[in-house]
Amino acid sequence: MSSMLNIGISGLNAAQVALSTVSNNIANASTSGYSEESVLQSEAVTSNTSQYTIGSGVNVVAVQRAYSQYLTQALWSSNSSLQGATTTNDLTTSLNGFLANSGNLQTALDNLYSGFSSVANAPGSSSVRQAALGSASSLTTVFNTLGQQLSKQSTQVNQQIGSTVGSINTIATQIAKLNGQIKQAGTTGNPNALLDQRDTLVQKLAGLTGISASTNNDGSISVYTSAGGTLVSGTQSYALSSGANQYDPGSTDVFDSGGNDITSQLSGGTLGALISYRDTVLQPAQNALGQSAIALASSVNAQQAAGLDLNGQQGQPIFGVSSPSVLPSGKNSSSAATVSASVSNLSQLTTSDYVLRYTGAGTGTNGWTLATTGGQNVALTANANGTLSADGLTFSVSGTAQTGDSYEIQPTRGASTSLSTVLTDPKGIAAAAALTASAGTANTGTGKAGSVSVTNAANSNLLAGATITFGAGGNYSIADGAGNTTTGTYTAGQPIAADGWSLSLSGAPASGDTFKVAANTNGLNDNSNALSLAALSDTGVLSGGKVSVIASYATLTAQIGSAGSQASAEVTTQTNIYNQAMSTQQSYAGVNLNQEAANLVQFQQAYQASAQVISSAEQIFTSLITAIQQG
Amino acid sequence: MRISTVWMYQQQLSTMLNQQSALAQTQNEVSTGNAINVASDNPTGAAQIVGLNHILAQNTQYSSNINSANTRLSTESTTLTSINNLLSSVNDIGLGAINGAMSSTDRGNMATQLTQYRDQLVQLANTTDANGQALFAGTSTTATPFVMNSSTGAVTYAGNDQQSYTAIGSGLQVASGDAGSPIFMSLPAGNGSFVSSAGSGNTGTLVVGANSVTNTAAWGAATASGPVNDTITFGANGSYSVTDASGNPVTDSSGNPVTGTYTDGGSISFNGITIGMSGTPSAGDTVKVQSDNASNTQDVFTTLNNMIATLQSGGSSTSINNSLNRQLESLNQAMNAVSTAQVSVGSRIDTLQQQSTSYSDLTLTYKSALSDVQNVDMATAISNLSLQSTALQASQQVFAKVQGTSLFDYLR
Repeated sequence: MSSMLNIGISGLNAAQVALSTVSNNIANASTSGYSEESVLQSEAVTSNTSQYTIGSGVNVVAVQRAYSQYLTQALWSSNSSLQGATTTNDLTTSLNGFLANSGNLQTALDNLYSGFSSVANAPGSSSVRQAALGSASSLTTVFNTLGQQLSKQSTQVNQQIGSTVGSINTIATQIAKLNGQIKQAGTTGNPNALLDQRDTLVQKLAGLTGISASTNNDGSISVYTSAGGTLVSGTQSYALSSGANQYDPGSTDVFDSGGNDITSQLSGGTLGALISYRDTVLQPAQNALGQSAIALASSVNAQQAAGLDLNGQQGQPIFGVSSPSVLPSGKNSSSAATVSASVSNLSQLTTSDYVLRYTGAGTGTNGWTLATTGGQNVALTANANGTLSADGLTFSVSGTAQTGDSYEIQPTRGASTSLSTVLTDPKGIAAAAALTASAGTANTGTGKAGSVSVTNAANSNLLAGATITFGAGGNYSIADGAGNTTTGTYTAGQPIAADGWSLSLSGAPASGDTFKVAANTNGLNDNSNALSLAALSDTGVLSGGKVSVIASYATLTAQIGSAGSQASAEVTTQTNIYNQAMSTQQSYAGVNLNQEAANLVQFQQAYQASAQVISSAEQIFTSLITAIQQG
Repeated sequence: MRISTVWMYQQQLSTMLNQQSALAQTQNEVSTGNAINVASDNPTGAAQIVGLNHILAQNTQYSSNINSANTRLSTESTTLTSINNLLSSVNDIGLGAINGAMSSTDRGNMATQLTQYRDQLVQLANTTDANGQALFAGTSTTATPFVMNSSTGAVTYAGNDQQSYTAIGSGLQVASGDAGSPIFMSLPAGNGSFVSSAGSGNTGTLVVGANSVTNTAAWGAATASGPVNDTITFGANGSYSVTDASGNPVTDSSGNPVTGTYTDGGSISFNGITIGMSGTPSAGDTVKVQSDNASNTQDVFTTLNNMIATLQSGGSSTSINNSLNRQLESLNQAMNAVSTAQVSVGSRIDTLQQQSTSYSDLTLTYKSALSDVQNVDMATAISNLSLQSTALQASQQVFAKVQGTSLFDYLR
């Protein structure tokens, strides 16, 4: 009798626990990270006293959560990828927006070249010249705006790296704390709520950076970064830190708890995406834009110098642009040498950044070695004047370098923001050819003076003028205005060169014939240099003289566009993968309300049935008592 | 398969959100007409657009260069026509002065007329283009390349010999002007090969008329060793002999000295040249034959001035005719130079027009290429739009339906 009552009570209890669990499931149906809980029951152990066995009710063994380590881990890792892809996509979308909204560089460039063309059509018109200078300064503005947008995004990305590291540390601390509480609750205690909370935190952490996690016997979880360092172990968390790059104070690096720079080893999650976007998309875009700016400024300025302006002076630069940045390492010895860099050969200039390192006398070139920031070695050439050259750059060192000192060179990074229009006088546009050649009036040969081209605009005697006098056998002597005399022998078809100019002759000059080369000051209405300035629009100046400024901008457009479309495709892929993982995990651990409704009915009935058992036991007991009283 | 209720809701919601964003993208394409709004929409296409827009901008610039060159060259062509007409009139006056029986008053009037023509010629030679730049100054900045000395009437050239060019294509340039010197100043004297003039001390009535090179090979052989500077000296009854600059007899191809007898209206030929003459030479009269060289040139203004001076000189008709014949030869050189320039300008204008037509065609081609890359295909885009909006509506209806199916609804 008492056993029946006890069995009834155990059933009642079990049903009550089940009903509570169902209620909790329903209540938490929308709670993110909640795992469906179910009651684990077992038949109560019975003492086997006679020939037969009667059960003694039900035991509630545990309230378990639906949990699959495999599915949960898959969800974490797909969350890492998804958050990374989303971050990259957001950034590249902004980047593409900058490109579309910062004014059209191609139009601005074409306007400048058209401006030069218009100057060629009317070299004497000051309004046309003014308009060309106006185009130059709008072009400068477009370069500046675009460059500034990119640097702003760079600043923002670096700040975000810092704040993401902060979030990672906060979450790691919370996980360590939960580890402690879970350990206390004990492995058999099934602290479901704590476990759910911790899983949610780990998922969040995975979204911030790529991690790997393993569960220990005591129920605690250990979390490692993609660099292999420990973030959480038991109740201990190990904080990452962010700080300035050793070369570039504006660039944020990430360090592990031991102070090691692990920036390049981090991947996955928001942090990995930020670092990878900064290093593989944004900086190359900044460098490529800067390369275009340098190409524009150098090519236009060089052509300017090969002509005469309306004042009869050699053309002065139209554009100003900063020289390559040299950033000494913060770890350099206190007496480190000073390194400066300049662009010496535009056609070889790349979009790479470099690290120049002093490896000590007897190694490298004059003790120096150069590598790209990507780690690729670049051969240095030692020049006669003690400078070093590589990839279109020339480095000069002053002071005594110490072994191990290093410098980061950013040849083009800041060029687009530093581009400026320095020419203000519209007369300063050098439309006319610098030099003109004429044959002597008493010449008896058939030699005719052709065009004089400028081969070295920096020659100080360029505009000094010269007289070429032919002797017998095609021998000639050049007496220039500075008092220098050089001699040579004329070969038909070969130009005669001196003082930075080169004269092409046709026909056969006779002995005694003279030719004069002089500054074109009587021909300032000439437009041949303006035509050359306009022709820069299609002149290859980069990549060994194959790529024009506009073509380099088209490449940049494609580069930024590809980054954007790749990121957007990646986000679609990663969303699908994440959804798949989430769907599988949720179908295992999520709450299905229909199921809970059915369970509710089931356990309600179980409760009612157990209550009925107790009621029956009471009736039987009453019947028995009544029977005894009557008897 | 067991499904989490919340996840099911979320999935349906995110499906709708995705459909909505695709719809917005299509809507944007339809409303802007652009298939590429940012580079990431189509990276290769975006780079192509940069290239195509660049080519279009260049074509526009080349077309505008062509217009500008065309304007300048048309002005030059018109000016050259006026100059040619003017020189023809001068030629007519000169011929009239030779042929007619003119009084000194008539000659004086002709001289006055020529003076006016000369002034007008200076003005024409100083014509400026639309930008106020002199047409015939070369590349000099001077506004008046031809400066006339008001007392002597002599004209000096202040421009230079350079030509300006206009870019009408990549690496394609057309001269957009001509220097004044080859048209007006450094004109060859005489018939272009040599000058044949009667000696200033002649006493007879000999007038040197038309003369030219009639045998190029023989003339070439004669001038091979240097410029010719021969003198024809007449003896009695029209007999003549020819000597060179050193006084030695000039020989023919067989090595015999050139001699002969001239009759009125006849001509003298040697060394591949023929000199027509009229009138009767006195014994001792000479005719000089000088081949052209670089320093033996005469500008068109000097020619006019010489004609004016001749007409005003009041000399004998023989000397006037001799002098006018020489000046008309020079005038002919000037007219040739102007015609040559006119032909050259005309052919350049032709080139410009051809190039201009090809740019209009090219611009159309490139514009359609650009439109293929840049513009959205409206038919596709609009059908996409309606498809996407139908799909979104369907999702919304499904959501509404599914939302109503819960077991709880039936447990009452």
